[in-house]
Amino acid sequence: MRRRSLLRQVLASTPGKIGVTLALILGLVSLFVVVTFPLDFGPSRWSNPAVWADYPKAVPPAWTDALPGDKAVQHQVLDASQPTESTERGAARVDVYDLTLDYVADEPPSFLSFSLGEVTYEERPPSLSVTLLRPDEATVPLLRTTIRGPRPGEKPPYERHHQTPLRVLVTAEPETAQAASEMLAETYDVDIPASQVQDDTAAALFGAPDASGELQPLHGQYTVQVRVALADPDDSLAWVRAVVGGTVFGLMGTDSSGRDLAEGLAFGLPLALLIGISAATVSTFIGTGLGMLSGYKGGRTDLLIQRAADVVNNVPLLPLLIFFVFVFGAQLPLILLLLVAFSWPGLTILVRSMVLGLNGSQEVEAARALGASSRHILVKHIFPHTAPYVFTQLIFFVPAIILAEAGLSFLGLGDPSLPTWGQILEDGFRTGAVFLGYWWWVVSPGLLIVITAVTFMLLALAMEPIVNPKLRRD
Amino acid sequence: MGPSLLRPILVRAVSLGAVLVIVLFLLVLTLGATGYSDNILDAQVSEELRAMRTGLSETITDPDAVEEVIEAQRAELEASYGLDRPWYERLPAVVARVLTFDLGEARSIRAADGSNSVADIILERLPRTILLLTTSMAITATIGLTVGVWLSTRPGSRADRFVSYVAAITNGLPAWWAGILLILIFSFWLRILPSGGMYSTPPPQGAIASTLDLMWHALLPILTLVLVSVGPSIYIIRTMTLNVALQDHVTVARAKGLPEAVIRRRHILRVAAPPIVTGLILGLAATLGGSILIETVFAWEGMGQLYFKTFSGQPDESIIIGLTFMFTLIYVGARLILEILYVFLDPRVRYQ
Repeated sequence: MRRRSLLRQVLASTPGKIGVTLALILGLVSLFVVVTFPLDFGPSRWSNPAVWADYPKAVPPAWTDALPGDKAVQHQVLDASQPTESTERGAARVDVYDLTLDYVADEPPSFLSFSLGEVTYEERPPSLSVTLLRPDEATVPLLRTTIRGPRPGEKPPYERHHQTPLRVLVTAEPETAQAASEMLAETYDVDIPASQVQDDTAAALFGAPDASGELQPLHGQYTVQVRVALADPDDSLAWVRAVVGGTVFGLMGTDSSGRDLAEGLAFGLPLALLIGISAATVSTFIGTGLGMLSGYKGGRTDLLIQRAADVVNNVPLLPLLIFFVFVFGAQLPLILLLLVAFSWPGLTILVRSMVLGLNGSQEVEAARALGASSRHILVKHIFPHTAPYVFTQLIFFVPAIILAEAGLSFLGLGDPSLPTWGQILEDGFRTGAVFLGYWWWVVSPGLLIVITAVTFMLLALAMEPIVNPKLRRD
Repeated sequence: MGPSLLRPILVRAVSLGAVLVIVLFLLVLTLGATGYSDNILDAQVSEELRAMRTGLSETITDPDAVEEVIEAQRAELEASYGLDRPWYERLPAVVARVLTFDLGEARSIRAADGSNSVADIILERLPRTILLLTTSMAITATIGLTVGVWLSTRPGSRADRFVSYVAAITNGLPAWWAGILLILIFSFWLRILPSGGMYSTPPPQGAIASTLDLMWHALLPILTLVLVSVGPSIYIIRTMTLNVALQDHVTVARAKGLPEAVIRRRHILRVAAPPIVTGLILGLAATLGGSILIETVFAWEGMGQLYFKTFSGQPDESIIIGLTFMFTLIYVGARLILEILYVFLDPRVRYQ
């Protein structure tokens, strides 16, 4: 079969059109991911809690805010590297950074955090205070601290927080709850004890009591004001940051450790394609090779291969896969090897019967009469006839392998250094996402598995009638 | 049945029996050669010794005396577990034992009646797995046959095309994920069905109430299994029936003026039956492995969930070998039943 006409015929059918379109989209997205993501994404980013500290935990995707209901808080990262205002007092100076935000949501933010980085000082450690200025003119002190002083034997200039920034989760500090409670008592004359405020400090920071004393969101402009007192003109602070934790996040929401699911799932796409295509290719190669050998050689080789195929074909796949992965350890190459080891027999049996049919054909007889070698006959006169069929089988194998790997990962047997869709799903299911209603955590990875599997099935379905004219619709 | 009938069945039985033995040997070889078996047994010995040490230290005050007793006990335990011999001497005996259905004793998992015999534990769970799989298979087969045969009379119709798309999509739909979706919908949002387990807490009293409760909990897993298998099943049955319906003998029957109902029953379904039955039984055998996933999702205490639990908790060699043996036995058994059925259903096999 000519390759160009194959593509044209695939495109002529509806499943073919959908399949090719989906395959193109999947291919482009995975290309983008491969180019932009680090190869060690798993250990360096996905499984590194420090990366995800300033992300909201277990919140739905941002687009859910478009649905009717309470207006959610969008995640906001407020950064400043230049002070808004600088007052000099002799050699010393006070730098003020104003980080402002408009609060319009119907629910309190999931958290408020403050961080700063790269402090350098000559003699006296800088001190800083962070205050929240509210639209009702009330103020809440959030943090008062001094950068760590020189260690014995250390020479100036002293560098602090160059590698690890200073980060304070303001809403988790008891002092903030105390300050918020005092602010509410002063401004609104309501008595909410700090222990009660602490249950949801953000609601007090971004709210005001209504007539019944319940805290309601207070809309308007808020400023997180950072005042830094520096003793020497050469003292410096590279950046300050306040993060207002959203109650929705990104395209696909976050998991309970705050990880951006869109990122993890994007990395899972090329991974799934790699797993599916590589294992399917090797498996098809082995299956076809053994089938041709079996059919062409006959005799003892044939018997041996057919018995082996029969045994492998008759074992329960998943229990044995689980057994071997548990015993040998969950590494991706091993999982792929096992999937290959269990998936070749079907094709071997089919290719063998095709070869048996072709063996007596005039073409092969003629080649043999002309003195062609066995290898020449197999490669030039037998394989080309089975090729379209084998190719379709290869495409049928891809979703089967992807689904098998996803199932294994879902049982917690995935390679921990490579976050696959199945593993993300397992993570969600194991930690009770289903029972807590974190649907975004379990729906999107599964949907991606289905879309990828269906893409290859549609392609195979579209190719089948072309390779096997019997199935052609009249 | 004559010898011509018995021979193919016997050949098949022998080759399927060989599968069973090969799988067991492979298991044992893997457990032994990787040191996994030794590790499990070592852990078992240490655990028993630790318990003993705590007991002894209450009665004997001299620590050296305690160590002496412990060491003596360690040697005894290692001998009783066969740890003093290399695995290739110890494990073949295990294969022989398992093949005679002597599955040994479990370490920490118990059957409901407190028995620690692996056979009892598996037999307690086997019916639960069979309940799920056969019920869903019966429902799938009924729907598949009814709709599939009906569709085969209307090839290319809108309904036909719709089913072929549904089949393609559900083929790529993992049952365990569909189960999670159904739990989200029916259990979390609508709150009308239980999310998992086999009985309510507290379990209802009385046989009737108890059975109803069990069915109530089985509803969602069965629905899941039917949902993912019904589309492909309809499609396969439709295609097989259609292939037969296009054959010459059907045209002849129609030319003879036979009623359409008779043609369908005698000339189409009778011929299409063997491959359809094969497909259904193979489907059942294939879901057996899938039961590990489905039972884990629904916390259904069947064989599959036990298999997963044995690995993810403290690995128990007896249960691992026993269950893998049972899975293979059932799988191979299904194939053998298939071969026998085939002989009866398809006369052509008899004259080969």
